[in-house]
Amino acid sequence: MEPLSWTGALGPWLVPTLEAALIALALAALAHPLALLAGYRMGPGPEASRSGPGRAARLTGGLLRLSLWALAAVIVAFLIGGLLVQPDAKGILGRIATRLWPVWLSLGASFALVALFRRRLGLVGHLLGNPAGAVGLALVMFWVFAALFADQIAPFDPVTDVIAGMKNKPPGTPLPPPGDAAYGYYLLGGDALARDVFSRAVAGARVVLAIAPAATVFAFMVGITLGLPAGYLGGRLDILLSFLANLVLAFPVILLFFLLVTPEIVAMGVPTYMAGALFLFPLIFLTILWNSRFRTRPPLRAALIGATLGLGGWLYAGLAWNADPLGIVSMPAGVLIVFVSVVFVNAPSVFRIVRGLTLDIRTRDYVAAAQTRGEGPWYIMLWEILPNARGPLLVDFCLRIGYTTILLGTLGFFGLGLAPESPDWGTSINAGRGLLQFVPFPPLVPAVAIMSLVLGLNLLADGLREESLKE
Amino acid sequence: MTAPLLEIDRLSIAFTTRRGDIPAVADFSLSVATGEAVGLVGESGCGKSTVALGVMRDLGRTGRITGGTIRFRGRDLGTLSEPELRRIRGNDIAMVYQEPMASLNPALRIGRQLMEVPRLHRGASRAEARDLAREMVADVGLPDPDRILNAYPHQLSGGQQQRIVIAMALMSRPALLILDEPTTALDVTVEAAIVDLVKGLGRKYGTALLFISHNLGLVLEACDRICVMYSGEAVEQGPVRHVFDRMRHPYTQALFRSIPLPGADKTTRPLETIPGSFLMPQDRPRGCNFGPRCTHFKAGLCDAAAIAMRPVPGADDHQARCLRFEEIDWQSRPPAPEATAPGEVGAPVLTVSGLRKYYEVSSGGLFGRRRRKLVRANETLSFEARQSETLAIVGESGCGKSTLAKVLLGLETATAGQVLLDDREVQETPIQKRGPRAVADLQMVFQNPFDTLNPSKRVGGQILRALEVFGVGATRRARRERMFELLDLVRLPRDFADRMPRQLSGGQKQRVGIARAFAGGARIVVADEPVSALDVSVQAAVADLLMDIQRTRRTTLIFISHDLSIVRYLADRVMVMYLGHVVEIGSTAQVFAPPYHPYTEALLSAVPIPDTRVEKTRIVLEGDVPSAIDPPPGCPFQTRCHWKDRVPNGLCARELPPMVELGSGHRILCHLSAEALGEMEPVFRLAAE
Repeated sequence: MEPLSWTGALGPWLVPTLEAALIALALAALAHPLALLAGYRMGPGPEASRSGPGRAARLTGGLLRLSLWALAAVIVAFLIGGLLVQPDAKGILGRIATRLWPVWLSLGASFALVALFRRRLGLVGHLLGNPAGAVGLALVMFWVFAALFADQIAPFDPVTDVIAGMKNKPPGTPLPPPGDAAYGYYLLGGDALARDVFSRAVAGARVVLAIAPAATVFAFMVGITLGLPAGYLGGRLDILLSFLANLVLAFPVILLFFLLVTPEIVAMGVPTYMAGALFLFPLIFLTILWNSRFRTRPPLRAALIGATLGLGGWLYAGLAWNADPLGIVSMPAGVLIVFVSVVFVNAPSVFRIVRGLTLDIRTRDYVAAAQTRGEGPWYIMLWEILPNARGPLLVDFCLRIGYTTILLGTLGFFGLGLAPESPDWGTSINAGRGLLQFVPFPPLVPAVAIMSLVLGLNLLADGLREESLKE
Repeated sequence: MTAPLLEIDRLSIAFTTRRGDIPAVADFSLSVATGEAVGLVGESGCGKSTVALGVMRDLGRTGRITGGTIRFRGRDLGTLSEPELRRIRGNDIAMVYQEPMASLNPALRIGRQLMEVPRLHRGASRAEARDLAREMVADVGLPDPDRILNAYPHQLSGGQQQRIVIAMALMSRPALLILDEPTTALDVTVEAAIVDLVKGLGRKYGTALLFISHNLGLVLEACDRICVMYSGEAVEQGPVRHVFDRMRHPYTQALFRSIPLPGADKTTRPLETIPGSFLMPQDRPRGCNFGPRCTHFKAGLCDAAAIAMRPVPGADDHQARCLRFEEIDWQSRPPAPEATAPGEVGAPVLTVSGLRKYYEVSSGGLFGRRRRKLVRANETLSFEARQSETLAIVGESGCGKSTLAKVLLGLETATAGQVLLDDREVQETPIQKRGPRAVADLQMVFQNPFDTLNPSKRVGGQILRALEVFGVGATRRARRERMFELLDLVRLPRDFADRMPRQLSGGQKQRVGIARAFAGGARIVVADEPVSALDVSVQAAVADLLMDIQRTRRTTLIFISHDLSIVRYLADRVMVMYLGHVVEIGSTAQVFAPPYHPYTEALLSAVPIPDTRVEKTRIVLEGDVPSAIDPPPGCPFQTRCHWKDRVPNGLCARELPPMVELGSGHRILCHLSAEALGEMEPVFRLAAE
């Protein structure tokens, strides 16, 4: 079989169009600032100041917009065309687009649903009207769905499918005969151990998206549970907690990670003890949440706290101490270390944000109203203050998942925590970096994956921030 | 007359939003002559600030002028280029905003900020600019200009900051000064001084003033002409006294009838509220914008077509946007609702004796020696509040009234003295230990309507939580029913229960706050400035609601306020506080008539009254309220008192005066002799008509 070209049968039409669009974009991007500057300098006349930029600037601005739209249209044409043409006419891009069909379907369905109910959805609905937010949401959802459907999308197993002769092969290389494998090509080439780069990138999304959001949630639980009382009660407690937070923030992160994976330290059980302490916070958080809210309704309170402690205690025993009596819940040691370090490093920053927000919100009259009702401090912190801090916290949550993703990449790159054969993006980049000059794709693909996910999260955070300010 | 300095002709301004354009100002015309002071009056949302920003051409990215022209000295501001506009802004037109701290750069010394103006606009040298700045600081009545020039903004008080902002605006000798609610953030006595200053300086420099305010009394004092705005339009304009005496637009009249003037009384002549509520710009009706709320509305006439301003005979330049002003009988009042019997004042429910509250603050940092300082927030307060009575606590910021409220409610415990709630001592019981019944009995209504409700919880849920905490109702359903009854009580529709606070107007939020306070059947309600942040027409409705609830439930209302007009209208007894002391206490009639405590006298004279018949003696207090960390020896008020020289031997500076009984519960904290007190004249009287 022939190696695949990037564009397949669509190439002869779309590649020249793409080039034209790119050239137009480059020209417009160069010309527009010049035209703006010239217009500004020449335009002290009354018309110029009222009608905004001059005619030249309007022309280049229009060209800029037009070429951007053309570029977007060509890219979409690549994807849709790749999906639609005959299987043997597809290039690499077309085949990738085809492999990703569950993602497109779910993306389309979820965006259609959001658009349909955007009036009732509040913030998420408004997000669609915000370009940055919509693009961010699309990127994030793309990776979420890719992680969900990784088994359907990836043509090969990311770890075990090692096919002889595919080592360091360029993208689009057909499998050597006999072609009895499930799929005929390594779409994005093979890595140094002859595994499919495309499959590893997709499977890596699953690892990353399983750890990063969960670890961020834990960091938030810790930060909130400690930040609220520090800000609300103040005094010695605040001084102590703030000092501890500064201490953790001042400790070099990478050194901390190296320490945590050192065999002697692991043998001492330090990561487990840390997990034991950190994983306790969600339990504490939920318990005081229910206790303060439903103190006037004892039966409901007892039921909720009981459920929280029962279910949470079971998960806690399994995750932190690997002591699940039923033997269902457990966490691999490597993942536990990654989890603990991410929570430990992120919690102090969350703590400081929550503390600052609390200091601001506690001066509001509705907090005083709750005090004059005789509400306890935890009710005021969790039910009066925390909901009103949700805007900035939500934005920070999105950004922080992004940081955590990068942190995971860093950890993987240093070979800390996760197993060396793990398909996660950081580990893959580390594995491929040696031959970067000659075989660029094995490290490049996961790098682009990290970048696009973090970019999406940052855009989403920007969109959320803008939209929540508008309300 | 020559051509006016500023001529706004048929100005329309719109803001672009998600849901299309919102017309903020429509068909607005106004002219300001050189040296003239024009007041722009209206409730929030009427577009008065938008007009000012339109004149400054500072409408932001979403706002734009959709029609009409603004001419300044005959030049159309709309045709000027950005550099030309910049030359006019700050140089010929200056603006003073509501919040002084927002207009000053906190990182630069005052002197530097003032000197910047002549250096930028006229290229003055450093020394020249500094001299100008010093002169201007002296002109705005600040003592010790050199010290002020070297100070940072945060080292000055609010009143001083606002004076600096005015000085900065006047540095370039502008022809027009726009003041956007310049005194709203300040205390009454400071406000009076600032208004005097602005008036005097306008006259001295021949500056024209465009004075934007919601306070009709201030406009009467400061302005020559007035323009009343409603819903984006000017509805009436003309010479101030003419408009005040012979108003010819129903909205102007409704506005005047909703503010407590001397003579209004909560039982015999209650305030009239304007029916209906303010319409959003996009819901404006055809024809008269005020039509849906107007008692003189005539279908087919008022809603037929857009209405233009029409001249009112009797004075030049008096115009009103009403088609029927010739037909309306302007003297008639709707029949007063039958006088409700005033609630009978019962036994004392709250007795405070010798209450003191000191806070300890420590200063000095890591290396300095730690020094403990005492803030004397409350000094030996003694008073009682009876059942079904309204006791007003009056005083300026820093007088200790909020601390007193905190101690009463149990958010703080007293340093010394006794607070008796019925017969129980509660001065040392923090609120968590008071038990649900005692907590429910003593509740509070807060000042800021935008802050009083938790923005992320539904209205009904917030009232339900109060019911839950106070142990009202056995089941969820019973509590829900009770919550609806409370909404009825504060005259809000029941479906408001499912709304979020942001969907409510300020007045409606305040009503929810009141409903929440009464959730547990409160017997004593501390209302901390409950209406001062509301528009005047809404103030009347909320104040009357409080009075109504009080009458039916025999509640004791402790009404904290700095607004003496409203206090006079609804209080039974008044307690005046200054620097932690009660300086005067007595029935409303006693406190508002001589003999006064010198501070009460100054406070009363500072209140602007929007009635041309009232003649006032002006007593402007010098300086600021002293700090409670370092109070002056002797009488707390001696540093600013006008009567001090009537007391022999400098007694005021040495000894705290005794509380002198002047008859039937009227007591003042003063050294003045009975003769001196007898010489006091009323601060204001109604001139014969």
